[in-house]
Amino acid sequence: MLLLGIDTATRRIGVVLASENGLLGRVEIGGPEDRARPRHAEALAPAIRYLCDECSVSLRQLSAVAVGIGPGMFTGLRVGVTTAKVLAQTLRVPVIPIPSLDLLAYPLRHSRSLIVPAIDARRHEVYYAIYRTVPGGVQRDSEYELGSPDDLAGEIAARGEETLVCGDGAQRFAASFRDLDRVELAGAAHAAPSLSALAELAIARYEREEFSPPSEVLPMYLRRSDAEINWQPRSA
Amino acid sequence: MTSILGIETSCDETAAAIVVDGRTVRSSVVASQADLHARYGGVVPEIASRAHVELIDDVIEQALVEAGTTLDDVDAVAAVHGPGLAGALLVGVSAAKAIALATGLPYVGVNHHEAHMYAALLEDPELEPPFLTLVVSGGHTLLVAMDDHGSYRVLGQTVDDAAGEAFDKVARFLGLGYPGGPLIDQLATQGDPAAIAFPRPMIDDGDNFSFSGLKTAVVQWVRAHPDAEVADIAASFQAAVVDTLLTKLVRAAEKYDFGTVVIGGGVAANSALRTGLLDAAEQAGLHAVLPSRALCTDNAAMVAATAWWRLNADGPTPLDSGAWPSLRLG
Ligand SMILES: [Zn+2]
Repeated sequence: MLLLGIDTATRRIGVVLASENGLLGRVEIGGPEDRARPRHAEALAPAIRYLCDECSVSLRQLSAVAVGIGPGMFTGLRVGVTTAKVLAQTLRVPVIPIPSLDLLAYPLRHSRSLIVPAIDARRHEVYYAIYRTVPGGVQRDSEYELGSPDDLAGEIAARGEETLVCGDGAQRFAASFRDLDRVELAGAAHAAPSLSALAELAIARYEREEFSPPSEVLPMYLRRSDAEINWQPRSA
Repeated sequence: MTSILGIETSCDETAAAIVVDGRTVRSSVVASQADLHARYGGVVPEIASRAHVELIDDVIEQALVEAGTTLDDVDAVAAVHGPGLAGALLVGVSAAKAIALATGLPYVGVNHHEAHMYAALLEDPELEPPFLTLVVSGGHTLLVAMDDHGSYRVLGQTVDDAAGEAFDKVARFLGLGYPGGPLIDQLATQGDPAAIAFPRPMIDDGDNFSFSGLKTAVVQWVRAHPDAEVADIAASFQAAVVDTLLTKLVRAAEKYDFGTVVIGGGVAANSALRTGLLDAAEQAGLHAVLPSRALCTDNAAMVAATAWWRLNADGPTPLDSGAWPSLRLG
């Protein structure tokens, strides 16, 4: 079994190749400190080609394509999701969509705290969800949410538990979380959705045959377009 | 024989097509999003971008099925990489590059304006440059000399609104709905185009166009004449646009010495413009090429056709190439 994984929900462009025995390799470009214009549309395809070449893998050998569907940067998500579903359709293999917040939480499953990944949503907001650790993984204990860093800080404070906050949203708005009681920031190593988590979770779903047809795989936006938010029916 | 898969997602149509040797359309699938944008009275970029992601894989699949082919028998894959809406363009570009990655086929990035001109070569298999083109749509109003394949001179363009934008704005003002072009076209058939003498902006003033003043003139006239027949207003407004476009097109053909004139873009589907062009060309002794309505509005057959010429002349586009929302011709 050979899997290609893509996550472009943040400024980080990530590609991973893995088999059921572990990772063959991964490529990561960009990150929270990268101030250049995001280059998802330019860099993703060459990154996939580079990784395959270096691992001596042909895309025709793939068994499935996994993709982080966000929430996150809209343009990044559209590049990643479109690439994943068209690759899968062309290669006649299934797509395995995984929320990018899950990919941030999963690597922290060995902590005993609540795990709260937060992805920068711009406009002084973050996408977030709250996870509990369970044997062998994490379990989501909230909806996928969009809110201000202070909304999230309030929610964490209300729960009053040991909490680990991660993701580029946690880094960017560290000031909102730093002074909360019993809250720790996970740091730069946990800024972007984990590619090894993507491989591990996707291969488990592949083995359980939890596939999606390419046409049903879509980004998780959480935020409507401004036009929809502002639109009022004229006759209302 | 070279078969090319073309993809178009620059605005609000998700389209894919198979064209052989730049001249023969094997399939052309267009999924219009007009219904999604109607309530907003115009294309909403974020809604368009989201819809492209939803539709793109099915539209590509359908283009292959309708052509009775598979990617095994396709020789290159092309997508419009500009100009257009940034978030929309990168869906088509990403899809085309994904197919190129998976199959090893060459990828070709295509200029949307250039594609509108190549639509004429699909309509008329004998047509070869040089010719003069008028590309008119909701997003562009361009008068372009195509001197040879890949060789263009932009002779004139709008200094404010595009012609199609004027149709949309006037239709919205008249309460007709969206998209405005087909609605005004239809209503105008019941009206008198000579009922109201709307201005012909900049008609004697060079090769550029201006349509925002005309829209304002319509608004002012209607406010002063609240009981006027809407069909007369639509017909008279349309006559002013068509008269302006054709006068400038014919005059430029004489000035720059072109014997053939070609139209393209969504507004080129307008009935009054089409009959007007045939009359004007006959009077001026010009050969006019009018692509079918389906080839005038945004489609992917024109993209696949353009890609065939571009691939032969320039070779493939590298996979690290992105999208250019403000891409120019030439
Ligand atoms: Zn167009």
